[in-house]
Amino acid sequence: MKAETNVRTTAIDSVALAVIVASLIAVTPTLRGLEQSTPDATLAISGDVSSPLTVSAREIKTMPRTTVTVSEEGRDVKYEGVLVGELLKRAGAPTGRDMTGAAVATYVVASAKDGYRAVFSLAELDPGFTSNDVIVADTVDGKPLFDYQGPLRIVAPHDKRGARSVRMLQKIEVVRLPK
Amino acid sequence: MTRLIASFVVALTIGSLANFLDQGPRTRDQGPTFAWRLPLGFPTPRVPDDNPMTLEKVTLGRYLFYDTRLSGNGSQSCATCHEQARAFTDGRAKAVGSTGEQHPRSSMSLANVAYSPVLTWANPTITRLEDQALVPMFGDHPVELGLAKPGDELIRRLKPVPQYQRLFREVYGDNAASFTMENLTRALAAFERTIISGRSPYDRYHYGRQDDAISPSARRGEQLFFSAPLSCFRCHSGFTFSGATDFEGRRVREAEFHNTGLYNLAGPLTYPPPNTGIFDVTTKPEDMGKFKAPTLRNIAVTGPYMHDGSIATLEEVVDHYAAGGRTIADGPYRGVGHDNPNKSPLIQGFSLTSDQKSDLIAYLKTLTDEELLHDPDLANPWEAR
Repeated sequence: MKAETNVRTTAIDSVALAVIVASLIAVTPTLRGLEQSTPDATLAISGDVSSPLTVSAREIKTMPRTTVTVSEEGRDVKYEGVLVGELLKRAGAPTGRDMTGAAVATYVVASAKDGYRAVFSLAELDPGFTSNDVIVADTVDGKPLFDYQGPLRIVAPHDKRGARSVRMLQKIEVVRLPK
Repeated sequence: MTRLIASFVVALTIGSLANFLDQGPRTRDQGPTFAWRLPLGFPTPRVPDDNPMTLEKVTLGRYLFYDTRLSGNGSQSCATCHEQARAFTDGRAKAVGSTGEQHPRSSMSLANVAYSPVLTWANPTITRLEDQALVPMFGDHPVELGLAKPGDELIRRLKPVPQYQRLFREVYGDNAASFTMENLTRALAAFERTIISGRSPYDRYHYGRQDDAISPSARRGEQLFFSAPLSCFRCHSGFTFSGATDFEGRRVREAEFHNTGLYNLAGPLTYPPPNTGIFDVTTKPEDMGKFKAPTLRNIAVTGPYMHDGSIATLEEVVDHYAAGGRTIADGPYRGVGHDNPNKSPLIQGFSLTSDQKSDLIAYLKTLTDEELLHDPDLANPWEAR
């Protein structure tokens, strides 16, 4: 199964999808091990979910694939991967009709190996709630991501800036707002 | 011809020069679609509607760029401060004009200047190469090429030259009135727009997807360059490694200027005049010490570094950013740049091992485009004859 979505953003910088200061982003400077090759990297989905899980980059390749097209410096670039919503669903996060009440007061923190973080609402990652195909990508134009991008990254094709398209993705944490 | 000039003079200079520019005929100016030689992955530069690209115009601009007749005393051309072998810089900390006057700032590289939405180190009002070319020609603070306004003498010098008789005719038509300063600066701008750098090992790696085009060390350095703690890419972004870019099909992006904590003098002027950044133009206190991020392409051959050439090597530049600003212990510029109140929040400092520092510099060196440095189409046409 492969969903094809052609989405174009206004301008995502080719060398810097994960850019721009946002108040919802915090950075913990950490360079140790940053440059180590991690072909067997894993992604942890944790937090307020019923079935926390860790998936490998290899496992992600076996999941339903989604392609998004973004404009980078005047070029159309295709990223392919799996919907973040698919991973959240597998971890037991509410989706579809359950996206109500406390679920719409829940957010998701995407964290990178270098300490970079960005926040999404849970609802905006649910394909049953929006058509915003935010993916965890593992290829760009059919090739593995560059070292500085991958092996996994977020691509949020509807964002006008790339600040939430977290590179070197390591962790996705679901956080429910306190009552 | 992005030679640098004290920015508080620039706006005045352009304004006054615009008044005397002759609106010469451009009857043959509308050539066929120009065949850009764009590197893989590069967009088409945006060109002003009133100055379309033609091969003949580029050729004319190239002759002018390398012609010492374009200085008052015949000693310098644009290429004097923008040498091809140095990626169109001059190797000096600060440029020196035709009369020997030292410029306050360092010559900027012209590589990919066609994509820059703003020109020179610190003047947000200069956005067109056609306008900028007038500054080094006629500016007198400092004197660069030292031509006399309004350029009549220059035109008189150029008219008898056989190459110019032919080229002006080919570009602008068989009309004596085609010899104008406006047509001259149009040709210079057209040539400058062809100085495109995108055939470095980095480009073969990134756009050509040749994984072995750069070393493992450079690949590690790339990760550091794009990491959150270093965030080099935040200012040196885009395919030009110089921040905002402008090209066909993209809306014009606002240029950014940065205070990197290079100085922190006591008093309101925390950067030594006349190099106070875009504050010179805007007079806004928050603009003190803010300069354009220069391109990192060909950075290995464009030292000394920073707007005033005050850092000699790439290693020392990395040290400056690692410290989160430069400390000057003695002398008139003493101060702790780290504490400059107007410093960019991105300049927080970081810690690298010696290996990591080597990796980062190895990555920067992959940006050297040897083809640009030796491209015969960008070389001095007078010597080629």
